[in-house]
Amino acid sequence: MYMDQLNQAVKGGIAPFHEYLLQGSIVDSSKDVLVHRLRGLCDNADSNPEAFHDHEMIFSLKGSPQQQPMTVYLRHSLIQTDCWHLRYVGSTEFGDKTRQTLVRSCVDIGVSDSIVKFLNEIGFKLEYEFVAKGYFFHKGRMKVTVSKLFKMNIQGDVNNIDPLTLSCLVELSVVVPTGQEQVGEDMKNFAEQLKPLVQLEKVDHRRQQQAAT
Amino acid sequence: MGVVCVYAFPVPEGKSGQQVVDSLQKQVELLGAVKTGNFSVDCETYQANTQAGTLTTTPQRLIHVLHNSEQPASCFSVLDTGTTLIADVLFDVLIHKLTSGKAGKEAFYQQRKGSKMESKGPRYELSDFIIKIGSVSMASNFKGILVEVEYSPCSVPTECWNLMRELMQSFMGNVAETPPTLVKNKMDNFYLPGDTINQYLEHFTNFRKQTVMGQPIR
Amino acid sequence: MQKEEKQLEMSLESMIQRVSELKNSIGALIFKLEHEYETLNWPSLLDNFALLSGQLNSLGRVLKSDKVPSLKNQLLLPLLLHPDPDENLRKLTEGRLLFFNHEIAPNYLRTKLEPEVEEKTQQLVTKAQQTTQEQTQKQLNNLNKVTSNLLDIINSTREEWDNESSQKSSQPQTSSLTDTNALVSATLTGKGLKSNRTRLPESPQAGMQQLQKIQNPSISKAPSSIKTQIKAASGGHPYQRT
Repeated sequence: MYMDQLNQAVKGGIAPFHEYLLQGSIVDSSKDVLVHRLRGLCDNADSNPEAFHDHEMIFSLKGSPQQQPMTVYLRHSLIQTDCWHLRYVGSTEFGDKTRQTLVRSCVDIGVSDSIVKFLNEIGFKLEYEFVAKGYFFHKGRMKVTVSKLFKMNIQGDVNNIDPLTLSCLVELSVVVPTGQEQVGEDMKNFAEQLKPLVQLEKVDHRRQQQAAT
Repeated sequence: MGVVCVYAFPVPEGKSGQQVVDSLQKQVELLGAVKTGNFSVDCETYQANTQAGTLTTTPQRLIHVLHNSEQPASCFSVLDTGTTLIADVLFDVLIHKLTSGKAGKEAFYQQRKGSKMESKGPRYELSDFIIKIGSVSMASNFKGILVEVEYSPCSVPTECWNLMRELMQSFMGNVAETPPTLVKNKMDNFYLPGDTINQYLEHFTNFRKQTVMGQPIR
Repeated sequence: MQKEEKQLEMSLESMIQRVSELKNSIGALIFKLEHEYETLNWPSLLDNFALLSGQLNSLGRVLKSDKVPSLKNQLLLPLLLHPDPDENLRKLTEGRLLFFNHEIAPNYLRTKLEPEVEEKTQQLVTKAQQTTQEQTQKQLNNLNKVTSNLLDIINSTREEWDNESSQKSSQPQTSSLTDTNALVSATLTGKGLKSNRTRLPESPQAGMQQLQKIQNPSISKAPSSIKTQIKAASGGHPYQRT
């Protein structure tokens, strides 16, 4: 049943998954308090939190004005160097006030290490890149990441980096098959437990994008 | 993953493809192989959308997207430069996004008309060997026969080539005299699933060329 | 005389009622302790104690009230002592008392403390009487001093706690909206990530370079034009791993 749905979605080119997202940040000095609290709230409280150290590259394909630009997010783990992860996200629905979280369609794909070459050869160009270091937690199907973002001073050099801000990005997300609205409620409840340390909220992506252009 | 050799098996004059496939199957069964289902390898080709007048921005690349029933969760994409990408099967969704225009916008790539090729047929197992006899079709026209033989316990071609040749020659004769070019080029390296896909792609390309040469150019 | 008797009867009735209430609550508490000790929590135990103390208070009030004639003036004397089990008595006392005989009656009807307790009390009383006025004053002063010291310590600690919690609420924010926005827009649009890099203008020049790649290899070394880099030097790709 599930596979059928998936196959249909794949054939139809519809992203079969939706990501529910809340975002916030924590200042560096309070990061440890947050990590400590997350360890207590999330699954596997008795083991050390899972650390990650990734290089994220954002590629886009821009053609003529008649073509809708396409952007993909590529993550490369600097710990498990054979792990490459490609992600495509649809435009974000901010929704009305009754909706608890941001919702966007997404496609998560594990790929082989030839991906950068592949993307370049079919016309994608590197737009920007950064290094993300942090911790990963999960509670049931909810995922929480606390990541420090670094800008790279020299293109492609993941060692020559400077922190972007004095805060860490905190993201709470759930990826579910299309049409499961109630996850938003669970996420809101979880976010409530992190207050006042972190305010996890719907961040209006469209406004951010407009501000950038 | 073992070592895989894929050969095009010639169809002699005066015989139909189906007859040749039947006799191959019979011989394989006589060797004691047991049928364990069916297999398929398919290939779809995409090219840059030239109508949108994007010659300068989108490179003139061909993207071949292949699937192998032996690796059902993977999607293989091979460029005409030889770059091979192995990804989760969800990569198809991305390819679809690349190839479909939305809201009045043109797509970056488009499907080549009538380019879909497929090799499918029965899959046999004979102790450590997996034998697949595939009928190749392009836009539902029969194009030829591809025989795939895999020796699963070994990953380095040099180590098992003689053994494989012995088995293959027992039902394919001279067709399997030397290893396929792709295997020959990496006899001492580890054999990987992407190599199988590239062997199939090479054969598919050859079949396609024959079609173009055999028929008046439209 | 009749009036007094009536009053006594009424007050006895209300006393019996209060006492039986008290007895029931104690019984319930004991039952809880014996059977539900695994699930019993502290707050509910405290509730039980509060109930008991309330009932004791109301019993005390009844005893002190004006309507109750002074019980001290009443006489109670046993009329019949019997060595055999008394079924009626057993029922009345819910099985606690079977006989009313010579051994039990003094114990139940006594108006003084037990001899050992009496002795101890007596000891304490004599000890207290032995101390002089001066000593008492001294001890009293000492006690006062210690108590006030303790009070000081408790107060200062409480102040500290209060300060801390108020500090917490007024602590510098642990999250900043500006930073959230900066981080989100960095991931979404690359804002702040591209700034200190030189980027060549985008197409159509990029496409031109691609065409010129063979004639002019120096351009293809430009850091931001990935595509040309790949084309011109596919071996030296920045992400290719050796």
